[in-house]
Amino acid sequence: MIRALIIDDEQHAREELEHLVHETGAFELLGSCANAIDALRRIRIEKPELLFLDIEMPVLNGFELLAMIEDELMPHVVFVTAYDEHALKAFEEKTLDYLLKPVSAERLMKTVNKVRETIRSGKLPQYQVESLRCIPCQFANRVKLIHIIDVEHIFSDLTGIHVVTSEGQFFTELTLKILEERTPLLRCQRQHLVNADKIDEIRLLDNGLAEIKTYLGHLLPVSRRYLRQLKVHLVL
Amino acid sequence: MSLIFELLQQTAVIIVVAYLFSKSPAMDYLSGARLQPRQMLVLYVVFSLFSILGTYTGLPIQGAIANTRAIGAVLAGLIGGPILGVAVGITAGLHRFSLGGFTAFSCGISTTVEGLIGGLVFFFLVQRKKPEQLFLPSVAFLTTLVAEILQMSIILLLARPFGDAVALVKVIALPMICANSIGAALFMSMVRDQRRMRDKVGARFSAKAFTVADRTLGILSRGFSPETAREMAEVIRQETGVGAVAITDRERILAFSGIGSDHHCTGNPVVSRWSKQALAENKVVFADGYTDHFQCPLSSGCPLRSALVVPLRLDQEVIGTISLYEPKTKLFLNINRSFGEGLATLYSHQLLRSRYEEQKSLLIQSELKLLQAQVNPHFLFNSLNTIMAIVRKDANRARQLLMQLSNFFRTNLKPQSDIVTLEEELNHISAYLEIEKARFGERLTVNHEIDPALLDLRIPVFTLQPLIENAIKHGIADLLERGQIWIRVYCQEKLIVIEVEDNAGNYCESLNSQGLGIRLVDRRIKNVYGSEYGLTIDCEPQQKTLVQVKLPLVKGVANDSCANY
Repeated sequence: MIRALIIDDEQHAREELEHLVHETGAFELLGSCANAIDALRRIRIEKPELLFLDIEMPVLNGFELLAMIEDELMPHVVFVTAYDEHALKAFEEKTLDYLLKPVSAERLMKTVNKVRETIRSGKLPQYQVESLRCIPCQFANRVKLIHIIDVEHIFSDLTGIHVVTSEGQFFTELTLKILEERTPLLRCQRQHLVNADKIDEIRLLDNGLAEIKTYLGHLLPVSRRYLRQLKVHLVL
Repeated sequence: MSLIFELLQQTAVIIVVAYLFSKSPAMDYLSGARLQPRQMLVLYVVFSLFSILGTYTGLPIQGAIANTRAIGAVLAGLIGGPILGVAVGITAGLHRFSLGGFTAFSCGISTTVEGLIGGLVFFFLVQRKKPEQLFLPSVAFLTTLVAEILQMSIILLLARPFGDAVALVKVIALPMICANSIGAALFMSMVRDQRRMRDKVGARFSAKAFTVADRTLGILSRGFSPETAREMAEVIRQETGVGAVAITDRERILAFSGIGSDHHCTGNPVVSRWSKQALAENKVVFADGYTDHFQCPLSSGCPLRSALVVPLRLDQEVIGTISLYEPKTKLFLNINRSFGEGLATLYSHQLLRSRYEEQKSLLIQSELKLLQAQVNPHFLFNSLNTIMAIVRKDANRARQLLMQLSNFFRTNLKPQSDIVTLEEELNHISAYLEIEKARFGERLTVNHEIDPALLDLRIPVFTLQPLIENAIKHGIADLLERGQIWIRVYCQEKLIVIEVEDNAGNYCESLNSQGLGIRLVDRRIKNVYGSEYGLTIDCEPQQKTLVQVKLPLVKGVANDSCANY
């Protein structure tokens, strides 16, 4: 049984696919999600082997969701879309398969075979993910998208990851690792990322440590390990 | 005294010459416009001969010649400017010099000076922007008077012996001054009359060309076909009073009206060499019936004798001809070449305009096709997918939705007309909205606020659809929470407002960067109602997008609810 998750913003589309997937008897369905934020949370918890991923979704589309998944958690992906506007054939190398809505049972069986074969071969999913355009943050009842250029710094504490902008502080589900890898933000300490464009000054302290002062007046610690990288990056 | 009469007798000769001159093609040059070098040359020859003739017809007196040579030189200066005046003066002066006598030298010089004086008056009046005054007989009279007085002074100054010169001037001064001045004035008045006459005839013909064009352009704007050609031929014959009118395309006679219609039949090929020439050379061909006889190629007994063939041009290409014929019994023709040229220009403009109109309407039609083809494939496949899911649970609901889908596509693929009522447009989008509501479930709520008095409002087809599609595609479909759409139609002052609002505010682009569908709605509204109407977009990011279409409030629609305005 392949552990699979369905992600589609339309209820009827989810139900239809659930039904078809169930009928193949090849999958253990972990559930279905209506949006990318929800999906990200479920992927972390359930660690599925396969995603049936709709591309057109509100706020964050299927490609953007992939960009937020850590490499070690990355499942195999089957794109499901109503219309081949993204020229999915071009992605065929990079994704496992793609399905066009409405999905026929016969076509789905081909996908099942392909998925089984891939999993049996032990090949790990390696998708060329795009870099992040913005960071989804919980904000009251909405999901707020913060553009990378607006970010001042990001830090983690016991409650989670927080994105700091001139407007305030926002909670995000993304990990510091993903944020460091998929954005131009620089790591300055184990728990801090900083936007180089927002650095006002770097004060060198004793014992090889340093401190960053941002334009907004925040003080960020710089550890010995990351100071060297920071200097190289800023051509100091 | 007798000398005056004799010289005046000579001026009679001058008048005859002037008359002949006024009939000659050289007359065309005297339109007051700047002269071409070739025209200058012709005028130089004419006036030099004229001036020399004045010397020959002069009377020998006391070893000199009393003459009317001055007229040619002064007029040349007046009409053609200083250069022409001096050139004629020198030519006639040299000729006089060659004849000898004790005033030979002084007369040679003075004729040149007289040409120069004419030229200076020309220069003065042109500088003062009053070239029309050059053709006043009084100006010619005064100029010649001054020139002749100067001539007498030059004779007194230069001719030797001085005693003889004084004696000669005493005899010839008065008669020559009078005769030359009067002669020049008469000549000029003749030239002026001839000019006026031409202007009048020209004006009459161009007025006629305008009337004919005015009445036929409307017909022509419906296209160039045998049917419109027949109507045009009738109108042209009535308006011009010519014997017969034929209209052809490049090969065949499309219509013929008037004398000779027994053998000039519609559908016959174009055979006459005049028509063929007009077609081949793209110019007006005129057989005036005097120098060039129109000869009917079909029947030797054909009474038509004069023909004016006007080419119909479209973008430099001749697409046909209009021929006007007069019978040989007609003494005064109702046609001439400039009339034909006037018509040719007016028609070519009209043909160009109707082609432009045609292309414009083709463009609008193809834009409409584009709007239909704009049906989002996402919409179609997502709808089918939704319905397939519903089939499993509720077959009746699925049937309803398939019905809505088929209704939607029926209208969308082939609209009944370009203009529909608001009610029809609302029905069309309600089919669309029903399917989208099924697809998005509780994520989509649609609120209608339509003034029922406006349901008969006539609007371009597909005015609302792209607005709704946009609100769903860029609004609701991209919203995590519940989406709302408001469709409102109401009167506001002198306007009717159709608006679609959503609570997403996700698509705050200016009109120009909107999708094709939205831009076409704006273009078509502006096309139909004028540029002050059309589409506006008001957007508050994450709050709302409001798209408004403003139309003029038409009388007869919405009397009740909009009566206040």
